[in-house]
Amino acid sequence: MSFFYIGDDAAGARVEHGDDVVILVVGGEIDYAASPQLKRRIAEHIDAGARGLILDLSTATFIDSTAIGVLVGAVMKLHELGGGSLAVVCTEDNERVQQIFEIAGVDSLIALHRTREEAVDALAMAG
Amino acid sequence: MRSQWRAEMRAAAGTGTGVRKGAAAEPGRELSLPAQVSKLSLVREHAHRAAAAFGLDEDRCFEFAFAVNEAVTNAIRHGSPDDRGHIHLSFLAGDDHLTFAVRDYGNFTPPTGDRATSLERGRGFELMTRLMDAVQLCVTAGSTTVRLSKARP
Repeated sequence: MSFFYIGDDAAGARVEHGDDVVILVVGGEIDYAASPQLKRRIAEHIDAGARGLILDLSTATFIDSTAIGVLVGAVMKLHELGGGSLAVVCTEDNERVQQIFEIAGVDSLIALHRTREEAVDALAMAG
Repeated sequence: MRSQWRAEMRAAAGTGTGVRKGAAAEPGRELSLPAQVSKLSLVREHAHRAAAAFGLDEDRCFEFAFAVNEAVTNAIRHGSPDDRGHIHLSFLAGDDHLTFAVRDYGNFTPPTGDRATSLERGRGFELMTRLMDAVQLCVTAGSTTVRLSKARP
């Protein structure tokens, strides 16, 4: 049985970092079955004005190329809108997800961070 | 239906049950899978089990299951099922290689060279070639088969 979930942690992010930073927690198996929901949630936040997106994948057990494609699409959309960044959080012990990002060769487009704090700092620097 | 499919996958993922050795053109017994995204998790689970039964270590099992997931995703996403809504899978445990094949019934169209499209899509095939020892694409009129092989270390 496939297991996937996605949730906002936008309230916490907004208190500390302003209205345009959103943290999405995405866990479980992020495959082609889950990708449409991931894409929709990211698009909703960008359409609502978010320009800093943090995806916390610390509890993800699997991510496939279609989900990575969704993240690359979000990065391109933010660039088109004239700025904005996407940062991914993946803890050090989540080797499988790290490995997939490495072999997918998207490290120049999407930075992986060990903690949310590190990701927030990176977005602040980029902004 | 699901339990029957599980049983068939278990049989084929074993150490050669029902598999004619050396029959490279028809690797193993073909298994019918409904072409539905909800089946992908099950496919990964069985691919991992087949790789473990073949004797691959944990890293190679993960790589095998990852590549199988990409191939089946492509078949569901870009291919066409048969008239019952199914695509066909097989596992073949050879002496040195574990081979997986997925067949769909669409007419293969090569990916476009459009930059925006290629950034967002088309990564799956490249990942398969990086993770497997051999990747074959066999296109005929009305069917597309992708075959993936991973060697025993």
